[in-house]
Amino acid sequence: MSEIDALKAQLESLQSEALSAFSAVADLAGLQQLRVQYLGKKGALTEVLKGVGKLAPEQRPVIGQFVNQTKSVLSQALDAAEAELSIHAKVARIEAERIDVSLPGRASAKGALHPVQRGLDEITAIFSQMGFAVAEGPEIENEFNNFDALNIPPEHPARAMHDTFFVNPIGDEPMLLRTHTSPVQIRAMKRFLAEEGEPPLAVVAPGRVYRCDYDVTHSPMFHQVEVFKVDRDVSMAHLKGVLKHFLSTYFEKDVSIRLRPHYFPFTEPSAEVDIGCVFCAGKGCRICKNSGWIEVLGSGMIHPNVLKSVGIDSEEFSGFAFGLGVERLVMLKQGIPDLRMFFENDVRFLRRMGS
Amino acid sequence: MKIPFSWLKEQVALTSTPAQIAGNLVRLGHEVEGIEQPRAAVKGVVVGRISSKQPHPDADKLSLLKVDIGQAELLDIVCGASNMDTGDKIPVATIGTSLPNGLTIKKGKIRGEASCGMCCSETELGLSDESAGLLILPADAPVGLEIGDYLALEEAVFDLSITPNRGDCMNTRGIARDLAADARLPLLEVAPPVMEVDANVPLTKVAVTASTDCPAYLARRIEGVKLADSPAWMQTGLMLAGMRPINGIVDVLNYVMLYLGQPMHAFDADKIKGEIQVRAAEGGEQFKALDGRELKLNAGDLVVADQSGVIALAGIMGSADSGVSDGTVNIVLESAFFRPARVSETRRTYAMVSEASMRFERGVDPEMVLTGMQQASKIIAELFGGVVGEITVCGNVSEINAGKQMHCSVTRIEKRLGLALPEAVDDVLRDMGFGIIRLGDRLEVAIPPFRHDVSIPEDMSEEYARVIGFDAIPEILPALTTTAPAQPDRSIHDAVAGGFLQAVTYAFISEKEQRLFVSDDGNDIGLQNPISDAMSVMRRTPWAGLLNVAKHNLNRQQPGVAIAEQGRLYSKTAAGHDENNVLAWMMVGETEADQWYGNARVANFFDLKGAVEAWLAVRGLTARFIADDHIQGLQAGQSAKILVGRVEAGRLGKVDGDIAAAFDIDIPVFVADINLDVLPEGKKAKFAPLAEFPGVERDLVFLLEKSAFVRESNTDAIVQTVSKAGGKLLTDSRLFDLYEGKGVPEGKVSVGVRFTLQDPKRTLTQEDSDAASAAIIAAMDKRFGAVLRG
Ligand SMILES: [Zn+2]
Repeated sequence: MSEIDALKAQLESLQSEALSAFSAVADLAGLQQLRVQYLGKKGALTEVLKGVGKLAPEQRPVIGQFVNQTKSVLSQALDAAEAELSIHAKVARIEAERIDVSLPGRASAKGALHPVQRGLDEITAIFSQMGFAVAEGPEIENEFNNFDALNIPPEHPARAMHDTFFVNPIGDEPMLLRTHTSPVQIRAMKRFLAEEGEPPLAVVAPGRVYRCDYDVTHSPMFHQVEVFKVDRDVSMAHLKGVLKHFLSTYFEKDVSIRLRPHYFPFTEPSAEVDIGCVFCAGKGCRICKNSGWIEVLGSGMIHPNVLKSVGIDSEEFSGFAFGLGVERLVMLKQGIPDLRMFFENDVRFLRRMGS
Repeated sequence: MKIPFSWLKEQVALTSTPAQIAGNLVRLGHEVEGIEQPRAAVKGVVVGRISSKQPHPDADKLSLLKVDIGQAELLDIVCGASNMDTGDKIPVATIGTSLPNGLTIKKGKIRGEASCGMCCSETELGLSDESAGLLILPADAPVGLEIGDYLALEEAVFDLSITPNRGDCMNTRGIARDLAADARLPLLEVAPPVMEVDANVPLTKVAVTASTDCPAYLARRIEGVKLADSPAWMQTGLMLAGMRPINGIVDVLNYVMLYLGQPMHAFDADKIKGEIQVRAAEGGEQFKALDGRELKLNAGDLVVADQSGVIALAGIMGSADSGVSDGTVNIVLESAFFRPARVSETRRTYAMVSEASMRFERGVDPEMVLTGMQQASKIIAELFGGVVGEITVCGNVSEINAGKQMHCSVTRIEKRLGLALPEAVDDVLRDMGFGIIRLGDRLEVAIPPFRHDVSIPEDMSEEYARVIGFDAIPEILPALTTTAPAQPDRSIHDAVAGGFLQAVTYAFISEKEQRLFVSDDGNDIGLQNPISDAMSVMRRTPWAGLLNVAKHNLNRQQPGVAIAEQGRLYSKTAAGHDENNVLAWMMVGETEADQWYGNARVANFFDLKGAVEAWLAVRGLTARFIADDHIQGLQAGQSAKILVGRVEAGRLGKVDGDIAAAFDIDIPVFVADINLDVLPEGKKAKFAPLAEFPGVERDLVFLLEKSAFVRESNTDAIVQTVSKAGGKLLTDSRLFDLYEGKGVPEGKVSVGVRFTLQDPKRTLTQEDSDAASAAIIAAMDKRFGAVLRG
């Protein structure tokens, strides 16, 4: 056998040995080893090439071509095997990393706003968007702002109906826990006049109020929002327009409103405001005592004596005002049956109402 | 106030249904709290006659009745009562009838015998609270007639809530006047009856010295009264109207008051000594009231007195001894007008409310002072006999609240209401007692004396509005006022975003709870009339309320609670009082439950500290927590004050174990608060270029004396030392490891510090970090005697 034939035979057996080794290998690391073993600098193919030196120069290109062909065959086979093994490896890795996606997510502490806070936020936002400025006032008030300036003189029967908490003397003046947010009307109007000179002004005043009354339907502390607007030619029609807009926005539906004449010392005329029952759409149910209407707030045109008490000319300016109970509106909107739940702060209640 | 429909119908010929009347009342401003319908409540119950009675074959206590209710066939009824016999007339509830007690009558079998109705007792008809057996009707009761018609039960009773401005409507007459005017029907005239008087009956001597508080006082003597119970029709009426029968004379006075609104009083004439005086009380004068209370009067209280002392607190209550009682024969009737503000003040002073005081306080109709007296005298004489004397009259009723006039502009009222005033409405108001003349835009109004509440044009706007109806006013959204919207306070919202549930607790707590966290320095603001001791003082700490929330929830199997609250704290100050806006937190128990990826975690100091720091960070603020062993209510060694800049803005720590135990809590509770009023404005985020070149991070681990570490407090000081020593290139330094135990000598603690160096202009070298490390090691040695750990 000629040298060249012997080399060719050697290459052929090397190729078939390598190919069968490639197809038998199980992983990428083994394959890499084989690549080095056959095609590496010190690999089997290189070893074969060493024999080329013994050949006659004219034979060398022939065998060279043969070597290159073998190299290319092996190299392609290696690439193909590698691609195959890569896919297998990836599939294996994916399988190994499989998780139970139904396991609960990692808990992070979930807070929740108190339902009254949400109510306050929603109510205040509606009026803010209508251009009402937000104002606040002290909860420990004097009698003048809570009563006298609101046209409720001491002998007035309405004053007794307020179930007022009085605090022990602070200084010379008798002080009380405000029974409504209406004193903010007085404070805000005085401050506004000092700063701006004259109306228009439109104010929304949220806050805590207190009544000495504690039973299933009364809490000694609750929240009110006082809303008022003073300008030239403010009319009862504007009051109804604002009420309609507010109540429809708050209850997220077109609610019908009904005003009933009532009496509040600080408004004239005064009106209790009912909404068409949000539970039965006016058909009559337990909540509305079969009347189809639910009382939601008190309102009216600001009494001229109130405007006078802060120095606004009631001949030139008029205004409307209303005060609403936040807990009541939240109870109606969220279907909360019992006022006392607001102040128990049971975390199950807070979580449920906060989501 | 309750008014039977029949009373209204006597005053005005109303034809509407009770429901329609209620609707009109509401529109006119009289809130209807309810309508009782005693007659409708027994609809379907008819008069029946028992035509035969046999014992039930299977039940001793039951009878089988055949009952004639005027139909072709007799009804079979099984009856459990025993007080009836064949021939008796009884009320029979027919099939389908719903009784006032909620029972609906159905055809059925009782112990195997058919029963087609039910014989009723008074209780079952809602006529009485108790009854013994069936209601046996008179023998002449017509069979088949509805029982409501036969007994002439009231068709409807309106339960009204009269607003305090409408004293004139605290009686049937006032309500009837409004309804009549509104329905354009005539109102029955009530003229004082002409009384035959006997000149032999002596005049009652009266001296009114307090004529401002009592502008009119009428008294009349009636002799020889035979006191008896008032007749059944009057008692029924009084009870329908919500009052209890007392005795004949008092019942008549109450009846007249319910009709006309004039409260009156009757004295036993033989118990009055000398002349009647209407005067101001002397300070300290004694008065024993009808309700049993003994009062020491203030100077200036308006009283009715005789020679022996006070016999009535004017307009409020008579004395215990001077009133009409069983042996009374001669009486003195009093009818007066007392100044509303005077009655109101006395009523408030002694918290003494009566049907009379409620009416006097709101103002009675001056015209009814005489009319009431005449009506009452007439009824008394008719019912109980007696000889009626002449009336002693002090003052002039026709001058009281008389002649009030005003004028206003029609346009102005229209503008206020957003509503046109049709002239036809003037007629309605005229029927309501107003004198109205329109001269173009000018409205001349004469106000009737019984309307104490009307005096200015705005009052007339209400009168027009209620007559026209508020429904007629359109809904117009006014032009928006534009104001810069204020930044809403996000304090509680950010705390909630940090995983806390918001609580709202009462602003008043018990003094005992206050003392747990605030010492008694005289600056508490207590309530004069608290609901209870538990709610008696305005809070100066937010923590007591939060601990009660913890207690409530831990008692309900909650493994842990994280709560935040925003609210005010109240205290006296030199200038008056302060209402301090505060945000407070509380954590107790498990902050994380057992999970598949980890075990439950129990809240500690650093959980809450992290929450407070995160909350501050949102505002661009950082704080230093300075150990403070003297925060009342917190455990020494686990409490700190929170410094933001130089401001002491809050406190944080573990609640003292004994205090927690007082709230039934036996696990560690952590609380914090931030005074929102002193919190400085935070840094606004400002852009700075991001570093281009990589930084170098290095860790150094030191050994420190443990005592030095804790006492020197510590982490802040270490981080400060490292930052300062690290030089200009140091951008961050923090504690990353804290360890004592195995491998660390006794009494020492191992502290790991990680710092980052960065230069905006170049990549740092080994030399840079070596230099910084060396400086830090030296500084740590100098400040804490810290040794670099091997
Ligand atoms: Zn309803």
